[in-house]
Amino acid sequence: MENEDDVIYRAVVNHEEQYSIWPADRDLPAGWNDTGHSGSRAECLEYIDTVWTDMRPLSLRRRMAEQGLG
Amino acid sequence: MTIHALFRAQAGRTPEAVALSGGGTTMSYRHLDEHSDLVAGRLAAAGAGPEKVVAICADRSPGLISTLLAVLKTGAAYLVLDPADPPARAEAVLADSGAALVLASGRHARRLPAGPAPVLRLDSLLTATGPATAFAALPDGDPAGLAYVAYTSGSTGEAKGVAVPHEAVLRLVTDPNWITVTPSDSLLSLAPIAFDASTFEIWGCLTAGARLVVQPAGPVTVDAVATTVRDNGVTVLWLTAGLFHRLADDRPDALAGVRHLLAGGDVVSAEHVRRVLGAYPGMLFTNGYGPTENTTFTTCWTSSRPPADDLVPIGRPITGTRVRVLDERQQEVPTGAVGELYAGGSGLARGYLGRPGSTAERFVPDPTGESPGARLYRTGDLVRRLPDGAYAFDGRADDQVKINGYRVEPRAVEARLRADETVRDAAVVARPAGADGRRLVAYVVPAGSTVDTFRLAENLRTHLPPYAVPASILPIPALPLTPNGKVDRAALPELDRAPRDLFTTYVAPRTALEAALADIWSAGLAVEPVGVDDDFFELGGHSLLAAELVRRVQRELSVTFPAEAIYLQPTVAELARVIEATKEDDRAVVATDRA
Repeated sequence: MENEDDVIYRAVVNHEEQYSIWPADRDLPAGWNDTGHSGSRAECLEYIDTVWTDMRPLSLRRRMAEQGLG
Repeated sequence: MTIHALFRAQAGRTPEAVALSGGGTTMSYRHLDEHSDLVAGRLAAAGAGPEKVVAICADRSPGLISTLLAVLKTGAAYLVLDPADPPARAEAVLADSGAALVLASGRHARRLPAGPAPVLRLDSLLTATGPATAFAALPDGDPAGLAYVAYTSGSTGEAKGVAVPHEAVLRLVTDPNWITVTPSDSLLSLAPIAFDASTFEIWGCLTAGARLVVQPAGPVTVDAVATTVRDNGVTVLWLTAGLFHRLADDRPDALAGVRHLLAGGDVVSAEHVRRVLGAYPGMLFTNGYGPTENTTFTTCWTSSRPPADDLVPIGRPITGTRVRVLDERQQEVPTGAVGELYAGGSGLARGYLGRPGSTAERFVPDPTGESPGARLYRTGDLVRRLPDGAYAFDGRADDQVKINGYRVEPRAVEARLRADETVRDAAVVARPAGADGRRLVAYVVPAGSTVDTFRLAENLRTHLPPYAVPASILPIPALPLTPNGKVDRAALPELDRAPRDLFTTYVAPRTALEAALADIWSAGLAVEPVGVDDDFFELGGHSLLAAELVRRVQRELSVTFPAEAIYLQPTVAELARVIEATKEDDRAVVATDRA
């Protein structure tokens, strides 16, 4: 845990366009994709703060768009 | 399905059954359905709709429950502000949530800070009458849509809004594997509505055709709860661990008609469970565990038999819930080994409202990949799996503590204290206090020669919810450090007096006489601080102590007053007035004698 700041993470995203972080030296779990962005924990979280602008799951966004709800 | 669709279906099955009672009113399922339709129409006209947040500041009442249902019917999410919170916190939460609309009952509307969202008076909204046809025809809404937002404390000080979708609540109340609520049950609505235990109480009840007994607003005391439970024939109720222990100690008679008792929010004592189940054979007891981020309960231990040893397990995952126990490298640990509990399934919150980074940090990929793309919430709770498959709680991975069932981050309170220019450093720890668990104690290192702890406490009270304000603030020359330079919390001095344990506001002494009296009380009762409006008997005083205190006051302050004054005027302020009046009388007597 004391080396937590040295761990390199990847910013990852799933099918609902929900973002998270994952250690860069480990294989991605099923259903998660690499965003191509890696760095320290703080750097990855900052990146996610800028790209994850709509926190509704993708499927909900699509259904709402179909109903004209935005 | 959505929460309100489930309610509507239930109202169709049992229209004449009582849905709500409290404050002298009752409402049938039909009446509640129609009334909330009517209110929903007005809310929608004022701007409520899908993915919008409607904030509500009101005391617990049947009208508030009807309002929550109305908010859901518009497609919007509710955010309940605790009326006990200071205005600065309400302001921060309102701004963070981006609420589209604010509803406040008359008493609370005046306290709310002005913001961008329109404020509607709840009282006039609820008494509105008229046709409600337009809203009965509304679509049922989306199960992934936002249902409510519940604020919890964050480690850096700012409160974070947990955003909970309808489907997460449905997973809690639909065919649960740990409880069966039937239309013949009466559930108690006791938890503050801003607190996520209310989710089970309210929606577990109203989607099952049972009656929701709404505890009147006001201080939640053991006697008040006992009265409501007995007078209303409550059969199912949820208590925080601390309240459960006190009720089992002081008023076990109140549980005679209870069929299923739930406790949680903190560690539950096996001895109390044993006693209650021994007294009421056939009663079911549930120890419910779970963070707000996984919607009220994650695991439950339900039994009619007491636990075998001195540990009450937190039980097994509830319906629709996945639990993993992982080590620091996110590898599963074997049975019996301690690891961090990660929770997943359909009870997961969407995340923290408007905080993608914080969400990504705590809601992480399920490393097992069993359900592709699924997330797990890192609870920060340490647990181990018992041989029978149930889980046992084993403390926290960080220093978060529970006070009266509420999550508190001591570091957030420390940050607040350090922000004051008279404070160089601060440490906040939880100390055991009485039967109900623990109290926060703050240690502050003054930046100069002195620090005004009363002013610091006042300042905390204006920013933090009441449960996060330390019961005592003690100046200390320096914080003890470990060899590697971190604050050594274990080496902080113990209090020799218990922290003040009252729900009423602390009022500092205003005169020399009040200060002297408060000092004597504090020493005699072994409680600190003592406020001038604190009741002697509520602070733990009794008749023997009263006689001793009267003697000490008379001796140390060289005053005389009738001994029964402490029974008739049991506060420092009142006693000070009696003593002053006695002095006046003495002077008058002296003057008369001379005349």
